[in-house]
Amino acid sequence: MTQAGKLPLPSAPTTPARHPSGARPQWRAGSELPDRGEAPPPQLTRRITAIHLPRFAMERWQRALARRGDAPPEDIPQALATEGPHGPVIHATNRAAEEAGISAGARVVDMRALCPELRVDYADLAGDRAALERLVLWARRWCPWTAADLSAPAPAAGGVAGLVMDTTGSDHLMGGEAAMLRAMEEQLSTLGISASPATAPTHGAAWALARYAPPRGLCPPEALAQVVAPLPVAALRLAPQTVLLLQRLGLGRIGDLTAVPRISLARRFSRAPLAENPLLRLDQMMGRLAEPVSAGEDPPRFAVQSRLAEPVQDPTAWLPELCRELCGGLAAAGFGARRLTVSVYRTDGEVSSVSAATARASRDPDHLCRLFEGRLERIDPGFGFDLITLAAPVVEDLRTIQTRLDRREDDGAELARLIDRLAARLGPGALRRPDPAPSHIPERAEAWAAAMGHPKPATGSTPAAPRPLRLLYPPEELRVLYAVPEGPPAQFVWRRLTHRVARFAGPERIAPEWWRDRPGARLRDYYRVEDQSGRRFWIFREGILGDGRGHEPAWFLHGVFG
Amino acid sequence: MPENDHAVPRRTLPEDGDFPPNPHAGFVEFGLATCFSFLRGASDAVDLAQEAWALGYDALGCADLNSLAGVVRLHVEAKKAALLPLIGCRVQLLSGEEFLAYPEDREAYGRLSRMLSKGKMQDAEGGWQAKGACDLTLDDLAGLGAGVHLIFLPPPSLAGLEKALPRLARRLPGLGYLAASHLYRGTDRARINRLDRLAGQAGLRLLATNDVLYHTAARRPLQDVMTCIREKVTIAEAGPLIAPNAERHLKSPAEMARLFAEWPHALRATRELADRLHFSLDELRYEYPREVVPGGRSPQEYLEELTWAGAEDRYPGGPPAEVKATLRKELAMIEKLDIARYFLTIHDIIRYARDLASPPILCQGRGSAANSAVCYVLGITAVDPAQHQLLFERFISEERKEPPDIDVDFEHERREEVIQHIYGKYGRERAGLCATVIHYRPRSAIREVGKVMGLSEDVTGALAKTVWGSWGTSVDGGHAKEAGLDLSDPVLRKTLILARELIGMPRHLGQHVGGFILTERPLTETVPVGNGAMPERSFIEWDKDDIDALGILKVDILALGMLTCIRKCFDLISAHYGTTLTLATTPREDPRVYEMLCRGDSIGVFQVESRAQINMLPRLRPRTFYDLVIEVAIVRPGPIQGDMVHPYLRRRSGEEAVDYPSPAPPHDPAELKSILGRTLGVPIFQEQAMKIAIDAARFSPAEANELRKAMATFRSRGTIGKLEEKMVGRMVARGYDPDFARRCFDQIKGFGEYGFPESHAASFAHLVYVSSWLKKHYPAAFCAALLNSQPMGFYAPAQLVRDAREHGVEVRPPDVNYSEWDSTLEPASSSGGFALRLGLRQITGFRAEAAQRLIAAREAPYRDVKDLQERGGLSAAEIRRLAEADAVRSLFIDRRQALWEAKALRDAPDLPLFRETRDEGEEIPVPLPVMPVCEQVVADYQTIRLSLKAHPMAFLRKSLGKQGYITAETLKSARPWQRVKMAGLVLVRQRPGTAKGVCFITLEDETGVANLVVWPKVMESYRKTVMQSRLLVIHGVVQRDVEIIHIIAEHLEDRTDALMRLAPDGARQAGAPAPSHPRNVKLIPPSRDFH
Repeated sequence: MTQAGKLPLPSAPTTPARHPSGARPQWRAGSELPDRGEAPPPQLTRRITAIHLPRFAMERWQRALARRGDAPPEDIPQALATEGPHGPVIHATNRAAEEAGISAGARVVDMRALCPELRVDYADLAGDRAALERLVLWARRWCPWTAADLSAPAPAAGGVAGLVMDTTGSDHLMGGEAAMLRAMEEQLSTLGISASPATAPTHGAAWALARYAPPRGLCPPEALAQVVAPLPVAALRLAPQTVLLLQRLGLGRIGDLTAVPRISLARRFSRAPLAENPLLRLDQMMGRLAEPVSAGEDPPRFAVQSRLAEPVQDPTAWLPELCRELCGGLAAAGFGARRLTVSVYRTDGEVSSVSAATARASRDPDHLCRLFEGRLERIDPGFGFDLITLAAPVVEDLRTIQTRLDRREDDGAELARLIDRLAARLGPGALRRPDPAPSHIPERAEAWAAAMGHPKPATGSTPAAPRPLRLLYPPEELRVLYAVPEGPPAQFVWRRLTHRVARFAGPERIAPEWWRDRPGARLRDYYRVEDQSGRRFWIFREGILGDGRGHEPAWFLHGVFG
Repeated sequence: MPENDHAVPRRTLPEDGDFPPNPHAGFVEFGLATCFSFLRGASDAVDLAQEAWALGYDALGCADLNSLAGVVRLHVEAKKAALLPLIGCRVQLLSGEEFLAYPEDREAYGRLSRMLSKGKMQDAEGGWQAKGACDLTLDDLAGLGAGVHLIFLPPPSLAGLEKALPRLARRLPGLGYLAASHLYRGTDRARINRLDRLAGQAGLRLLATNDVLYHTAARRPLQDVMTCIREKVTIAEAGPLIAPNAERHLKSPAEMARLFAEWPHALRATRELADRLHFSLDELRYEYPREVVPGGRSPQEYLEELTWAGAEDRYPGGPPAEVKATLRKELAMIEKLDIARYFLTIHDIIRYARDLASPPILCQGRGSAANSAVCYVLGITAVDPAQHQLLFERFISEERKEPPDIDVDFEHERREEVIQHIYGKYGRERAGLCATVIHYRPRSAIREVGKVMGLSEDVTGALAKTVWGSWGTSVDGGHAKEAGLDLSDPVLRKTLILARELIGMPRHLGQHVGGFILTERPLTETVPVGNGAMPERSFIEWDKDDIDALGILKVDILALGMLTCIRKCFDLISAHYGTTLTLATTPREDPRVYEMLCRGDSIGVFQVESRAQINMLPRLRPRTFYDLVIEVAIVRPGPIQGDMVHPYLRRRSGEEAVDYPSPAPPHDPAELKSILGRTLGVPIFQEQAMKIAIDAARFSPAEANELRKAMATFRSRGTIGKLEEKMVGRMVARGYDPDFARRCFDQIKGFGEYGFPESHAASFAHLVYVSSWLKKHYPAAFCAALLNSQPMGFYAPAQLVRDAREHGVEVRPPDVNYSEWDSTLEPASSSGGFALRLGLRQITGFRAEAAQRLIAAREAPYRDVKDLQERGGLSAAEIRRLAEADAVRSLFIDRRQALWEAKALRDAPDLPLFRETRDEGEEIPVPLPVMPVCEQVVADYQTIRLSLKAHPMAFLRKSLGKQGYITAETLKSARPWQRVKMAGLVLVRQRPGTAKGVCFITLEDETGVANLVVWPKVMESYRKTVMQSRLLVIHGVVQRDVEIIHIIAEHLEDRTDALMRLAPDGARQAGAPAPSHPRNVKLIPPSRDFH
């Protein structure tokens, strides 16, 4: 308390001169209310750049389609929609849709009435957010303090994204602020993102200039008040209802607002939350209230290296140590590697890399090391290597969880390791795993998926009826004796051997999948049969005599039990 | 009209279908679900009954999941197909066990219905049950007793059943059977054998069923789609959720005998059970409540007593002789049909509204029997049938053994009181609202099926759009091609086929707007009663068609906004002018009222205020009450579609001779004269079309009845085509002009949806007359009453107020020191009449409770906003609303200053410690810029939806005038075919289904309104402009016809930007361009106001 009074006030260096020190109570020093009429001049030493990305969601969607070779025509109105309480609501639009009068926030049904040729797709909000996070990392090329701009109140209609960066002192690397802003606009446009950047001494002012002023606005500290005065109050990042209120009060511009005595605004707005408080927003804009850019941390990177005194011909001996070191780092951070790259640097400057991948996150050094077994020999050593690096470019969360009380490991890990090693040897394309598919047709009930991907979570119940271990593909045709039309098989000939049916169970009737089979497809009656020697088969009759879909039904053997 | 439940016609078997009864079959299907097992059963009763008959059944069970909603339909259709309907229900307990329950007799049925009601009204803990749910426990089932035969449906896995089954058998007295199905699951034989063994151990009998979900195997795709809709998956990912095959269809007894050849006793069990059930829905004969007849008298005696007493009241000095004769004739017919208690029940409800409710509730009856002399003297209607030649026999036929139809309209704000009175008097046990079955409409069907088929939102949207309007019932390929869709694509084709099958399937049960049924014994023993979505509402599971089919009586308690308005207007007149009026005592046949109507000056008047009606009035030139009856009936899609309007107008104006189509000799040439005499030879009313069918096409009463039913649901495919052939063919054969015959039939088709019977038209015409009379003689009171009854009618408050001002009413803005909650009358400054003071209810977002606090504390005028807060007890937010609406002018501050001061108020408790000083210091006066008038007007529209200060167009007039734009006022003197350009705000856009794509737009400027016609061709090129403009500029040609002026659009322009320049930036929020009702159109886009 006593010290507080002696400290120079960082934001108000001139105040002591105006207030006789005796008149000012000591305890108010730290909580100086800036409402005594004359606000202390702010310290406007920082340079903040805000980038407005007005069509981020729509452009991302267009790029995704273009990548599929299905680029949407520019001249057809297109909108992205989200689910609203009364049906889908427009989220983002392209230029043609905007010209047709489609506005964000309106219901899709109403907009269709307005513009029948409007095309609508669903917006991917989570994808947009993730893409913006990636863009933040990409934009750190200009300055490290870069973040997604989330300071404005949630816009009524989405699709509007922005970045904010503290470019204090980094603009000279790009040849000055004007050149930097131009570079930002250009480089973002090569990514297919339209952007409007602006630089000002505060976050609030930069945000306003990027959206409500001519492109590439630059605001020097001394001109701040002048530059923002003609902007509408909406540029203060206020909620729409507050903007409407201020307009009803005749305070439509920021300049009008600054002309009102502080005390009058404070009485009316001091308790409002930030998004509805023009006073706080004005302070932020003018630098009276600090609003630093807090950039998130870079994602962790995992790489280790080994610098060798003498060039070596074979890096294999160093790999176990590198793996141990890398896994130590991964374990400390709680991650596991999904992809690994070994790079060897030859003395003559050549660099070669070998990569491996894992089916699930792992930080077991022995296992990771084994993935490179026999793969490093293929590198031409030349005159030897003097630097080896091991990096994990793709990592995933991997927490240490004890799954069992005995010391054995849970069953999935073993399989994953096997897959990793096989994939490392044979190439990932050579490995597939069966994947249950939702269908009653036996051959469609399982699909083959790449082994390295995540296995699908088991979907619900598997069919209760018994299935043979081995399915024949394609089923083999049989000659069968049976009682027409629907009788069970009595005897059949398979691969030139005659089997007498001793016992049977069935039929299990599986109808064609009407939504994807051709119209003439016939149903199947499956029987489990046992022949005289006790061998069990799974045979079916395709169709029934008189079902109007062809002649005599044919019989097939589809699988063998045991 | 609450006729939306008719929008999807009910399919039914023809009355005279050729279904010779089948001999006794060895098997009866009990496990049969109709489409009222929502999203489970995929066939409706018609198909099931027809198929069952074709397969050789003689009896058919019906068991929907926890519901009896579909039994009436199956009962009706099965009887038509010569099948014995067996009524039951599939009961699913909370614990998962499922049973089929079939009551043996009426008492057992009552117990079953009561159990379902309990499950639908209370959840397992005894709380208020959610709508659509049904919680049943084993105890409930045990309470059914032995009269309800239970069939246990085994779960897919039989594990544990050895123990469970004997336990269930001990617990449930009615449990006698165990169901077994052969569904080609691969293990059927082993399973049935095991079930047979289990049944033997538990002392049950094995009963065969095919657990039917659809009538033929071809319906499997629809059932799969329904499953997907229910489970919210697409068909491609449904996998194990849907059945592997199509075996759950109705199989013939012979087929079942083949499948159950090893277990013949399972088939015999079905036959024996069927023979033990002797309950029929026909036993639910209606028992009228006894309360309405005082003890010791027969209903007929009591009704006659009331009738003669009422006649003395209606005709002071005794009823005239011909009225006496009519009453005697009607009473004789009532006695013959034994419907006296029906009239007494309605009389009882009306008496509550008129005599017991305080203040009395205005009401009026309508419907086929309402325009009888008996109803008039009982006070059910106010239309004197003797004066208007409305004869009872025309409305009630002896052939129809159905109860007569009387709907009663009540004031819309007070209908709830009547409903609660009925509940109070008869008890929730004995009174219930009908259900309305919500069906799949074409659009919803396509959307749902498209979603299941994995089509994108775009494609389903385009497909759905091929159905024009919500009344489109069919989907066809031609339209799809129009929308740019390739129908050779198999997925699209399947989608359309399935959507067509889904249309008309019930989706869920809603609550009927006001159809009540009243019973003598507890209602829950007649039909299950479930909870509505609204608290305190319960409704029965059957809709009004079901009620009709069983001959159960229902009373429609409907709400009508105009009655509220008329009552409020009567109240205002008696308070300020000292004249007491009622519906029956309003002076009749006042020529000044008809003069006003002939000018088309009818904004606010009941029924004839729409644009089409306003245009019709100067042509029809009503001079008597009966002209109004015709006016009400003629501007309806029925007569318009049947092309009856123009012939009638031509004959009325004398341009065309009145002649009556006549048959060739030897038939009586004047046989149509008696039917069509009143309407100059043009059929206009529903009954006339019916009469023509009977007299000119020689329809038998049964055929006429069928025609009447088909009229209600004219799209029942097939039937209508047959009837058309029959009617037109017979008329032509009897020598009528084929053209006339076809037009008659077209009109019948149109009536199906929106035709008026003469009795309805007469009741409505009475309200038209009364409201016109009030508008003519008390415009200020009428406008106040209209504003106080909102929402109702066709026009927004802005148009009502504007119309009142044009009629010389002084209108004053809402004000904290002068206004009540409602709009009121106060002495006018000049003439000595009354001025209209808008009420605080006009202010959007201001609540009635706040207004009551404000008015209660207003013993002296409020001086400032602080006073409003302290004395008026308003919160800061409420004062802000008043300030925004500019309702504080009497505090000598304008909107902006008031808002500024209101914003400074806080809701903090007023404690002495904080009273003296404010933490921010003293207030400094801030000079706010003056709000320009144009901004004031915009803010007025945003807060009270009208402005008394100026019209938005007035600000643009100077520049418009210079550019040669005419006003609505000068348009009145324009020459026909003159080329004009005009600008105005778009009030209403309409594209009626009967107008073949023509769009009608009403424009408003500061001098009046103008009507535009946009032909389809122009519409196509200016579609966006038409749909989106708020300020529309039109270049076109004037068309005049009598006093009706249209501008035919040639070129349109959207100048909304000019309008937007009036408002500050914040008001430029585009609203939805297609508001649900013209009344809700706000001229200037609505803004999100702060709260």
